[in-house]
Amino acid sequence: MSWLKRLVNTVRSGRVEREIRRELEFHVAERADELRDSGLSAEEAERRARMKLGNPLLQAERTRDMDVALWADGIARNLRHAARSLGRTPGFALTVVATLALGIGANTAVFGALDAVLLRPLPFPDADRLVRLSQVQQTRSESMIAPVRLEEWNRLNSTFSAISGYGVEDVSETSGDLPERVRRAFVTPRLLEVWGVAPALGRGFSEEEHRFGGPAAALVSDRYWRRRLASTPDVLSRSVRIGNASVPIVGVMPPSFRFPDRDVDVWFPSPVDAPNAQSRHNTWYTGVGRLRPGVTLEQARADLSAVQARLAQQFPDPDRKIGVDLRPLKQDLVGGVGRTLWLLFGAVSLLLLIACTNIAALFVARGAARRPEIALRLSLGASRAAVAGLVLAETLLLALVGGALGLLVAGFATAAFRALGTELPRMDEVVVDGRILLYCSLSTLGVALVSGLAPAVRAMREDAGLASGESGRTQVSGGQRLQWVLVGGQVALSVTLLTGAGLLVRSFHALARVEPGFEKSGVLTFRMSGSWSETGEYPALVARVDRTIDTLRALPGVEGAATTGWALPGTPTQWESSFAVMEAGGDADRRIVTDLRVVSPEYFATMRIPLLQGERCERRSVDSRGAPSGQGFDLTVNRAFAVRHLSDFPSAVGLHLQAFGETALKPGRIVGVVGDAREQGIDRVPVPVVYVCLSAPGPTPFFLVRTSGDPLAVVGAVRARMKELEPQRSVYDIAVLDERIDGAYALRRLLTLLLVAFSLSALSLASVGLYGTLSYAVGLRRREVGLRMALGALRADIVRQFLGQGLRVVGLACAGGVGLALALRRVVAGLLYGVSATDAATLLGVVAMVAVVAALASLVPALRAARLDPMRVLRES
Amino acid sequence: MGSPRPKNDVLQGTLSLLVLKTLASNKRRHGYAITSHIQRVSEDLLRVEEGSLYPALHRMEQMGLLRSEWGVTEKNREARFYSLTATGRRQLALEEESWNRLTEGVGRVLRYA
Repeated sequence: MSWLKRLVNTVRSGRVEREIRRELEFHVAERADELRDSGLSAEEAERRARMKLGNPLLQAERTRDMDVALWADGIARNLRHAARSLGRTPGFALTVVATLALGIGANTAVFGALDAVLLRPLPFPDADRLVRLSQVQQTRSESMIAPVRLEEWNRLNSTFSAISGYGVEDVSETSGDLPERVRRAFVTPRLLEVWGVAPALGRGFSEEEHRFGGPAAALVSDRYWRRRLASTPDVLSRSVRIGNASVPIVGVMPPSFRFPDRDVDVWFPSPVDAPNAQSRHNTWYTGVGRLRPGVTLEQARADLSAVQARLAQQFPDPDRKIGVDLRPLKQDLVGGVGRTLWLLFGAVSLLLLIACTNIAALFVARGAARRPEIALRLSLGASRAAVAGLVLAETLLLALVGGALGLLVAGFATAAFRALGTELPRMDEVVVDGRILLYCSLSTLGVALVSGLAPAVRAMREDAGLASGESGRTQVSGGQRLQWVLVGGQVALSVTLLTGAGLLVRSFHALARVEPGFEKSGVLTFRMSGSWSETGEYPALVARVDRTIDTLRALPGVEGAATTGWALPGTPTQWESSFAVMEAGGDADRRIVTDLRVVSPEYFATMRIPLLQGERCERRSVDSRGAPSGQGFDLTVNRAFAVRHLSDFPSAVGLHLQAFGETALKPGRIVGVVGDAREQGIDRVPVPVVYVCLSAPGPTPFFLVRTSGDPLAVVGAVRARMKELEPQRSVYDIAVLDERIDGAYALRRLLTLLLVAFSLSALSLASVGLYGTLSYAVGLRRREVGLRMALGALRADIVRQFLGQGLRVVGLACAGGVGLALALRRVVAGLLYGVSATDAATLLGVVAMVAVVAALASLVPALRAARLDPMRVLRES
Repeated sequence: MGSPRPKNDVLQGTLSLLVLKTLASNKRRHGYAITSHIQRVSEDLLRVEEGSLYPALHRMEQMGLLRSEWGVTEKNREARFYSLTATGRRQLALEEESWNRLTEGVGRVLRYA
């Protein structure tokens, strides 16, 4: 371990040197004693003793060299030298450090988000074995799973250690002074076993508690325990009060337990043997399973498909039409964010690369100014490696300082991500920890190498002959070529980044100009807590919601009110249903699969969707199961539906549609045709839609309130009125509709903003690089310029010469940047709306912008060259 | 470099052998004692150049042949004492053997010529 000892000694070099001095002093003292004993005077003895030992400084140094690691010592010495040398040009050092701090900081922050969201496993033991399960039906793209089916899958499979499921709903918790909305999850047996997480306090659910009619029990989240119960230690003797039922708390989950639906605070056992859980048509649960060790997803998929095939033989209706879908849970949770994060990471890495190139170019220029010094070192016998080490030490020092500050920047940026990205999956897991620290250190070293390599190589090629007398003035060097390549690289990468940003900005403009087919501004949306148990008495539920709508409409400042069952206008719905047209014989082959929305009759007037034909649908009375009593539900279709599916009939109005698989439901009658609205999302063309006229398909529909003024101004009145009307319920999820719709594009907006910021930074870095390089070129050629002007060259010629030099490089770089942007077009294609990834206008705009900025950056040094006084320049030399 | 060296200066490379041998008697010694021991035992035939002693001692310590500790001499001065490690003892055996072979070889050549 000698090298380690030496390394330690290198670091503690002060102490090592003191000890050596003491040791040598002792030697001199002993020698002097001996000499004195032989009769010399004290002074003479001392003098001779010292002489015998030789130059004490040299002696100490030679001894010390044995104790320290020479290479590390060399680095330390180079760093000290670099610090002194950089200290002489603080402006330069500061610019580089600031550039690096921002570059490394932004890069580290984005990597942190990427790492937390995409690279790390979910926070569960052996999380890669967790799988999301869905049942796939022909009538609906995919859906929740029926309780009986989930139990059968769990019993019959051989590849899962357990399969479980849950469903969520928003309810009002009334144990405190004020009712509060909580989201609760109903969970099937084995849920904690699947997650692999035990409660931090108390216990999980017992078998009896999972049985129908068994004792009531609830698990609560750590967050709920802290906030709602003030971390009371006797939490296990408290209860959760929902509606009129008090449910004892049996356990508290640990804070690290991150349920996929982050809003869930309370878990209730769901009895799978309940009478209403026995229908194979009910789909209640989001399925999760834990694979057995060593089982692949493909094996599990094959196994579960075989299980489902057996069920299909046993229960042809409806299992014959049901398939199985398996996905890694992480992929399911993270979804489309991955692509955006990679894009962002790519952009921020390009930016860092530009910063490195910029710094490399600055150092090459600086190196050229130091040529005499370097040549002197070489001629005094410094090795070329030592000279390169000197240059690398400077970039390393700057990178180290920049990296340390960058970590600070990353810390702030991470906090900002967490605050901005609340809608995004796993954002609360983004932290600065050891991994991020490691990444930051590695990228700092990488930055030092990348930005130091070119200048170091140049310094090595330096000619020792230069040292003598002739200063670099006659040298118009190849260093300029290298600098121009570096500057061109920066401009090209900036063009690529700007193209990406420009395309996204244009997408946003296109999106803002879209006519959605409904009026999205001026609408307040909210929900009221309710329980699925209310669906046991449907007429009461529908009457309650209708009463609420009527009350809202009577409020001052309110122009209209309505409900929508599952999905807000302008946001996608999971619900696709299949219908047959009764007038066409109810033929199964002519089944129509279409978007289904359940809305109250006032929906169209409230959302300002025009009625084109027929009349407004009406409220119908429902029976206790939610099916209409008497005639079927009123249906409204949009024009796209009428054109696509009903063009064979003289009029859409009056036709009857029968929902498939739901034989209990009477066919509904189409009473009206409305205009096409972009119900799936502002960025999607309208699809055929069937609207079912029912105000409450579930206990917690969205309420939509059209206001004459600012929607937020009526919030107080709405809350107050609702408290009078339904004191047991809480109003929650309040938001303005267009903010909600825009919220769906929050990620894209964040990406656009960041890309614009990155690409503008890149452009400004590149123009600084261009300016610096051209200024340096002008400096190098002062004599030539002076001579030419003395010989009668016009100032315009000089300007043209240098401007031309800059713009030629920019021209080539733009071509390269556009080429790169075109090569990378598939990266952004999926994020664009209304503009193609090869949009000529965007490319031209970017090139024009870069050309203007580059021309300005080149003009300043070119003009300076033209203002040179020829006589002064010539006299200087 | 300056003045010509006295002829009885210790040959480069044999210094470490002499130091090892000096310390082999299980006694710890400081640098000055090592010099005077070599001089005394060789009856002034050998003289250690003081300039190369300390670098050699420190190098040998870094190689793990010696260990050192601070102590107090009989004159009550603080000094750094060196002693052999197990590795140093093995190294001594090796160097002694190679030295013997060298001198024997050189002796044979001299006798023959």
